[in-house]
Amino acid sequence: MKINSRTTTVIVIGIALLVLPLVGSDFFIDFVMTRTLMLGLAASSVVFLSAYGGMNSLAQWLVFGVAGFTVGNIVAESGRGMKLGWEPWVAVPIALVVATLLALVLGALSARSSGIYFLMLTLVYAVIGFYFFGQVTTFSGFGGMTGIDAPEFFQGEPKRIYYAAALLSAVVYVAFRGIARTPFGMALQGVRDDPVRMASLGFNVQMHRTLAFALAGFVAGLAGILNIWWNGQIDPTSIAIGPTLDLFIIAVIGGIMHLEGAWLGAFVFVSASIYTRDIPGIGRIGGVLEDRIFAEERFNTIIGLILLTIMLVSPDGLAGLASRFRSGKSSAADGAAAETAAPSPSTTDSSQQQQTIPGGQL
Amino acid sequence: MKSISTKRVLGAAIALTLVAAACGSDDDSGSESTSETTDSGATEDTSAATEDTSDSSEDTSDSSDTATGEGIKLGIMAECEGAFGAFNEDTVAGATLALVEGAGATTNSTDTALDGFSGASVAGVDIELVGIGCGDDTADRAIQEIRTLVEQDGANVVIGPLSGDEGIAIANYALDHPEVTFINGISGAQDATLHVQAPNFFRFNGDGAQWNAGTGLTVHDVAGWDTVAVIADDYGFGWTSAAGFVADFCAAGGEVVTQVFPPLGTTDYSSFVQQLPDPDEVDGYFWVVGGTGTNASLEAFVNAKGDLTGDQHAGNLFFSPALAQALGPDIAGAYVGGFASLPGDISTPEIEAYFASADATWDSLAAGAAGGEVGPASVATGFGFGYGYYAAGTALVQALEAVDGDLSNDQEALRAALSSIELDLPYGPVTLDENRQAIVDTFVAQLVLDEESGEVVSQTISIVPEVDQTFGGTYSSETDPPERDNTPCEEKELPWQGNLIPVVDGVPQR
Repeated sequence: MKINSRTTTVIVIGIALLVLPLVGSDFFIDFVMTRTLMLGLAASSVVFLSAYGGMNSLAQWLVFGVAGFTVGNIVAESGRGMKLGWEPWVAVPIALVVATLLALVLGALSARSSGIYFLMLTLVYAVIGFYFFGQVTTFSGFGGMTGIDAPEFFQGEPKRIYYAAALLSAVVYVAFRGIARTPFGMALQGVRDDPVRMASLGFNVQMHRTLAFALAGFVAGLAGILNIWWNGQIDPTSIAIGPTLDLFIIAVIGGIMHLEGAWLGAFVFVSASIYTRDIPGIGRIGGVLEDRIFAEERFNTIIGLILLTIMLVSPDGLAGLASRFRSGKSSAADGAAAETAAPSPSTTDSSQQQQTIPGGQL
Repeated sequence: MKSISTKRVLGAAIALTLVAAACGSDDDSGSESTSETTDSGATEDTSAATEDTSDSSEDTSDSSDTATGEGIKLGIMAECEGAFGAFNEDTVAGATLALVEGAGATTNSTDTALDGFSGASVAGVDIELVGIGCGDDTADRAIQEIRTLVEQDGANVVIGPLSGDEGIAIANYALDHPEVTFINGISGAQDATLHVQAPNFFRFNGDGAQWNAGTGLTVHDVAGWDTVAVIADDYGFGWTSAAGFVADFCAAGGEVVTQVFPPLGTTDYSSFVQQLPDPDEVDGYFWVVGGTGTNASLEAFVNAKGDLTGDQHAGNLFFSPALAQALGPDIAGAYVGGFASLPGDISTPEIEAYFASADATWDSLAAGAAGGEVGPASVATGFGFGYGYYAAGTALVQALEAVDGDLSNDQEALRAALSSIELDLPYGPVTLDENRQAIVDTFVAQLVLDEESGEVVSQTISIVPEVDQTFGGTYSSETDPPERDNTPCEEKELPWQGNLIPVVDGVPQR
């Protein structure tokens, strides 16, 4: 039964992603879905760290950006940065190595902290990254780099980038879930739940955190490379605090304790950013002076309202809402006892959520 | 059990996606956004363009290309957020005014340009506004917006953008989208034309360096500076502006002793000002600090180095009489580099007609040039930002007329016309060089104290004719773009040296 359901879902997802380019418009594929998959990929690294490692990281967008800057410096032939003008494919392994090494170093530096301190420390990395690429003109400067070509295979072929993003998303989703079941993954969840006990059992807590951070960095790097192929441009404002927080918001909207929530959150976020401008009243770009405040901030207002609504209705995001809806429905149908129920909406104790959700999903 | 739930969530996500995909396919028509601008339909009110319409009917039939059938789908890449967000109205109004004058367009509102226009038609080709992009002066956002305009709204001609780094990004985007014609709004980074050289990207305004031509010569020859310290914003436009001044100043034999580059958006300039030499150690200072930084940096200077001596300072277009409100009349005497439109003390019949045309089109506009205050439309279009967009719109109209509305072969004829056209504009004619970059007349002004009113005003002291982007060979597509450590300084002969046209009491002595 369980296997059938899983197989069915995998087939449905696979077919849906495969046929989507035939059904949707080019704009929808290129703008909404490709971005959703890329941002989802990046957000999945935030979710992985949070759900399995108990680390709320704001540095994932930095790693994402560093991979992009690395590709830009290597591939671009003119403009700013190093202008090496190498073959785009050569940039891929280099960017991944740079991103992963950076994550390894940052992870090692912050592995001893946790909670709000970890969050602040990773925020500091993000800010340093912004100023580093702004100030060091050898690698970028505030103007950033444009005209960065994707490999020939992807040039002018938005559907290929879409399929690459879909494939990588699928692989990463399966891999993250698989890793969670390995001894390393189990130990990581142990570290999340009780680092002191794990240390006394002989586990190297900091090493587990550091390696998890590096792994998440690798995934963020993958997303960063896809993004630079898709966008062809990167500058320090691409990795400023705004987009850094956006990634975290994506993870929270989707449900930071649910891996699939990363893509769900990204879809909501991207759709809101694109389609809210078509809503009458909100969509009047610029607007007249009296309502300019609303018009200017339309996107942040909308996304803020979405976030607020989701947080009120379901503290663990859209994925949490869906799973609660499902378990509520099935328990009513089965007449089962309340022990299967997910946390109630009023539950705000994160350790309780952690215990009820990710571990049980494995 | 729980693994099933996960899958169901994913299944629900896919279902949502598919539903949205179906909605998304409707967007292909590109008719949704700024829907209020697309209700033109019939074009009876093209009174000004009737003669063109009649003689172009055979033309539309022989160029059976689909592009001709669609006409011009115009996207305006404006700026509604960031440092220049207040100029949204100005820029859209500039482009719109050109279509009102030359294409018989009617604006949809008399108190905002953002409601768009209808009924625009040149040589039988309808011009439909499909969207207004909302930039925030970053390249990242500009690419998102331009992709929306082109790939979602279906624009085949784009006017914009406003800011330097946006221009570079969009010129690069133009390389990958040869089917779309891009006419720059008012962005002024050198790379966009000199290095990127997209064949479908046209710029009818100067770059940041061109606008400062003549300023270095003037402070050297007139004010007697031999040494200068430069303080400039640390980004593309700041570097380009500084490089133009330095090239000009060094050509005349001057020497740059210090260059300081504070990050864009700095609020406390004290540490940067401390790096500048004292007033008795250097002949003058050149400032390229924009936005809120202009006041803040000069105030930091006063705190660190003592009161301002006006004629010991020069600035690019960011220096304006408004500085006196915070700094007092000490700023009088400072020299100011040029911009797209001329200072208010110069008036010609063409300029007056241009102002009158704007005021006849809108009752009032909330112009960024007036600090967001609602006022006469001519204030919005008279400032350089609005004027740059007006020049772009005028170029489109004149080129369409020149080719009788022929849009066939990816607008091949239209582009050829844009490349070779001599634009007749209120503030002077403009032609393009082989990189489709404008060769412009710019000016040098000085802030002076008006003895009657006691206020500081801007006074034009000379016009610098036919400034080209290369600065007499200092810059080329082979040279690196201006950067913090790349502002070439060499003594040489510049084409406009000795050719500056003096302006006396607002009248150029040609």
